[in-house]
Amino acid sequence: MGKMVKIALAGEGGQGVQSVAQIIAEAANEEGREALYIPNFGVEQRGGVSVAYLQIGDEPIGAPKFQTADIVVALSDRAVRRTNQYVGPETVFVYDNGIENIEEDLPKNAKKVLGIPAIEVSKKELHPRVFNIIIMGAVIKATEVVAVEDAKAAIEKKLGYKFEKNPKLREMNFRAIERGMELVASVM
Amino acid sequence: MPEKPIQGEKRAFMTGNEVVAWAALAAGAEIMYGYPITPQNEIMHYWTRMVPKYDRRFLQTEDELSAGFTTVGGVLAGKRAFTATAGPGNTLMQEPLSMAEAMRLPVVVVVQQRGGPSTATVIYSQQEVTMTTLGGNGEGLRVVYSTATHQELFDYTIKAFNTAWKYRFPTFVLGDGYQAKMRESLVLYDPQTRGIEMVPTEPYVGKPGLPGTDRPPTHMRNTYNVEEELYEVLEQYLADYAKAAPQIAEYDAFDTEDADLVIVSHGVVSRACKAAVKELREAGYKVGYFRPITLRPLPVDQLRETAGKCKQMMVVESANGQLDRLVKEAIFGSTVEMLSLFKPGVGITSEEVVSRVKEIKG
Repeated sequence: MGKMVKIALAGEGGQGVQSVAQIIAEAANEEGREALYIPNFGVEQRGGVSVAYLQIGDEPIGAPKFQTADIVVALSDRAVRRTNQYVGPETVFVYDNGIENIEEDLPKNAKKVLGIPAIEVSKKELHPRVFNIIIMGAVIKATEVVAVEDAKAAIEKKLGYKFEKNPKLREMNFRAIERGMELVASVM
Repeated sequence: MPEKPIQGEKRAFMTGNEVVAWAALAAGAEIMYGYPITPQNEIMHYWTRMVPKYDRRFLQTEDELSAGFTTVGGVLAGKRAFTATAGPGNTLMQEPLSMAEAMRLPVVVVVQQRGGPSTATVIYSQQEVTMTTLGGNGEGLRVVYSTATHQELFDYTIKAFNTAWKYRFPTFVLGDGYQAKMRESLVLYDPQTRGIEMVPTEPYVGKPGLPGTDRPPTHMRNTYNVEEELYEVLEQYLADYAKAAPQIAEYDAFDTEDADLVIVSHGVVSRACKAAVKELREAGYKVGYFRPITLRPLPVDQLRETAGKCKQMMVVESANGQLDRLVKEAIFGSTVEMLSLFKPGVGITSEEVVSRVKEIKG
């Protein structure tokens, strides 16, 4: 708490980075904190890398975009290359270590570079459709911008109507958040 | 009678386009006319989704020329009417809005600026300042509010209807693609609970009674036969505008009293500048912040006063000097040194503003 946290999430279309950013922003807002989320939405978005810019703090937030993020999450090879520009000496860079041939492209100037097997865990332990919720757990653990209970409440708000029909989905989503947090905790 | 869209007050977290739709509902707007263009589309989407419940109307036209003219028609019929557009759509809309200026029609237009010239980007810019303030073949007889936050988008969209109907000049809310698409919190409210009375509307045409007998005939003109006839009308309009301007003009400023350098910006860029000025002050730099909220009319007296006190003024904008030109005209004769940070069609961060000032000041 206290300091404003700037987060850039990047991935391929369909990986769900925008919905992760939106749910975290809504959870922070529910906590009464200041949050600002903006997607990149140009024509570039269609067939390009999808980037979500998220800022959370206790004071009103300034410009909607920023030059350097406190945490960058990159979920594809192109996303790794695209988000290098947001990395500075204080940035924690999180990427999926299942992405091939990106060792050369990982930032050299980051405070920390953390590889997590989110794609693998989603496929083998849970379900590919909760991949982005694993990422959400990773972001929450790395930044501590919102409490896990509030993140769960925000997911409930967004997907509750699906959970009503299939309570197992709720269980899987909440498990995904926790797994995401564990993955980051184990490499921090 | 349908219920009020907003009962009392409520905190919300939504996109700027959604905010505009809620504000228009809260302001009692009766009809929106529009043609889709990114990044303002969702204003139409949210409006059309919500209006059946509140007994309002929507008409999609074949293009922005038509959207502008139908909005003019709605106002002639006495409706609290509005439209929204961006970029090349704003260009087309200058023709009908010129007519609104000619007839003093309180048309409300929301503009979400995108990159230019032409189709350029669907994303963001502050490049529609010149066009929105002075577009059309006229004298810029209009009001332009430039918003910076979602709260302001809500507040000034409501206010735009009142300014338009009170002074009878077309009124614009100038946002941008960032404001349109980003999500942040604000408080939605019913204007009445804040003591805001909506200025009543009235039809321009089709009034009861026999024209010439029961009431003066309505004579709406946008065409004149002789030069003097036009001149007489315009003299009156310009006098009305000059009289209203100081009442309409709004600005926000801080730390200008002892500042060597004052940063001038508007709209979403002013958020970066506000953060930059605070950071620079903490680092010991004597900088100040000035932001015109109305770009037309500008807060001329306050700008001149500020220019008279500082040594340097730096205009920061996502355009190549569109605000800069307006400011320079307003402070003409001042000896303040003018500096700039122009990034046409691109967002500006507080980090960039800070480093530019440090570059100048060493």
